[in-house]
Amino acid sequence: MDPSPNVIELKRKSRLVRILGAAFLFALIMGPGPGLYLINEYAKSGGSIFGLPALYAWCLFWFGIEVAIVLIAAKTLWK
Amino acid sequence: MEVVVEMLDIDSLIASIDMGDTPLVILGLYMVMLFSFGVIAYLRSNSSEEDFYLAGRSQGVLVTALTIMATMFSSAAMLGIPGLIYRDGLPFVFFALNLPLSGAAIYVIGSRVWRLGQKRGYMTPADLIADYYGGSSLLRCLIALTGVLYVIPYIVMQIKAGGYLAQRMFPDTETITLFGGNLAIFEVGVMVLSIMTMLYVLIGGMRSVAWTDVAQGFLILSGMIIAGLATVMALGGPRSFFQEVSALPSEALSLPGASGSWSPWKLMTICMFASLATMIQPGQWIRYYSARSTETLKRSALIFAILLPSCFLFGVMLVAIGARVIYPPVIESGVMLPHLAIGTQSDEFDQVVIALLQEHIPLLLGPAVGVVIVSIILVAIMAASMSTADSNLHALSAVLTRDIYNKFLRPKASEREKTWFGRAVIIVATLLALWLVMQGESNPDFEPLALIAQLMFVAMAFSCQLLPLAIDALFIRKGTQTGAICGIIAGVGTVFLFTPFPALIFGDGSFSSLAQLTSTLSGLFDIGFCGFLVNIIVFALVSLFTSAPSTDAVAAFESDMNAP
Repeated sequence: MDPSPNVIELKRKSRLVRILGAAFLFALIMGPGPGLYLINEYAKSGGSIFGLPALYAWCLFWFGIEVAIVLIAAKTLWK
Repeated sequence: MEVVVEMLDIDSLIASIDMGDTPLVILGLYMVMLFSFGVIAYLRSNSSEEDFYLAGRSQGVLVTALTIMATMFSSAAMLGIPGLIYRDGLPFVFFALNLPLSGAAIYVIGSRVWRLGQKRGYMTPADLIADYYGGSSLLRCLIALTGVLYVIPYIVMQIKAGGYLAQRMFPDTETITLFGGNLAIFEVGVMVLSIMTMLYVLIGGMRSVAWTDVAQGFLILSGMIIAGLATVMALGGPRSFFQEVSALPSEALSLPGASGSWSPWKLMTICMFASLATMIQPGQWIRYYSARSTETLKRSALIFAILLPSCFLFGVMLVAIGARVIYPPVIESGVMLPHLAIGTQSDEFDQVVIALLQEHIPLLLGPAVGVVIVSIILVAIMAASMSTADSNLHALSAVLTRDIYNKFLRPKASEREKTWFGRAVIIVATLLALWLVMQGESNPDFEPLALIAQLMFVAMAFSCQLLPLAIDALFIRKGTQTGAICGIIAGVGTVFLFTPFPALIFGDGSFSSLAQLTSTLSGLFDIGFCGFLVNIIVFALVSLFTSAPSTDAVAAFESDMNAP
């Protein structure tokens, strides 16, 4: 017997929760976390990205990712 | 640096700027507005406990979003955080990345708390958590304790900030004669902030706290953005601003920052745990109950997650970074000190926003408009202090009334009696905080205030110890009452090891190796995370060997929580 639409919807939501949760955790690891080691040497040498100091640009990028995840969650999960 | 030379050339112009009576007029208007909100809130209220603590569970999106934001940000938003960025450089801007997570928590945690509050009439964190774990009195007291440990240092320190702000607003006034006696301007600031806050909380309860938070929230957010814009313009616009910033010394542009304090692990654990700890402290928890619906919480979460970090990243954080260009800190005898234009002591880095704006906004906008804008920003900083002090006073009153007085001392107290007891708590807490701050100011060796100031650094870490219980009750439902009690005791106990209390109680000698360990750990991670880790391990282990809440009770709880 095919699962009911409710069960399919629940499974879809549960998968989305896991994906968005993992993506947010990844953003926290890459943004303020150990991902900073990828950019720190470049930042130390006074490097810039799009005219912004490297560390500040890195922070803005991961802020954008975090906000995007929150917006997707609000649109799809928060009902 | 060119800019610094330019600034030195205009020193005489800066010296000629007179703030006059403008700060007094704007402060007066602000105080009248707060008091009016208190009176209107009182006229719209009834004498029930639910109305006093939760504004009848009817707050809309604007009020909920702004009261949550205003409660979260104390004077730290305009003083402490920019101060750290001015001292250490860019690494601490990553602090802003905790805010989208906090925003998400407003809906993810808040919507479940709201549904249970609606169904079961909960008003405090302990109502919900202790009830889930079988109504244990000990657990209720422990949850109330973590709330009180968070709230009290915040009240005291915000009141103290009122004194410092008064000194900055009226630099030429040393004393004021009142009722035949001379009061220092610091004392006047402390008294005005604390008594005005106490009055409107007393009069209007949650409704008045939330309405004033709306006005204060607008002031804080616009103050943050105006301050950022002014600094960018002072350095010649965005392109020139970021060129100057890119030329800062490498220690200000990279980790671990100029003071060597910021490892990625520490920044990440702060973003994860300090944010969640702040969002489950009693003041915020009460705001989830007060919302009109889960839709209100959803919209508030989105506003919070987008607007607040933007105000930091494009506002007040730019002031601190710009200040590092204009007034670079100096090293004297191996100690980093702020530039002379900011302050002379190592604890005066947090004066950076006030000092920079007081000098440069009048230069940018002309003396007349500039002085008005500076006065509004100074009032915004005061608003940040008041909005945190009022929410914490109100939350302290709710916790002590519901979780202690009503539960243990007067279980049959009427609604009216409970709200009057709550008001008495607000009066006593305000007067006690006022007395502590006054004593501390007149006697620098006054120990209690110094200890409370120390607790302020770990307040969020105490609140974080509620997190494992909240997550278990709201999402996992595998823990037991004994596990929860042991976990919270272990977590709070661990956080206490990071305070000066063990050395004070047992002497320095017995704790030297422990002090070394806690100092190493706090250099690497957020303190709340250290307590959380111990808490969760103890909670899980004890839960494995003790009996869980009854299946029926858990099923009923789950059903109420998932009800539409």
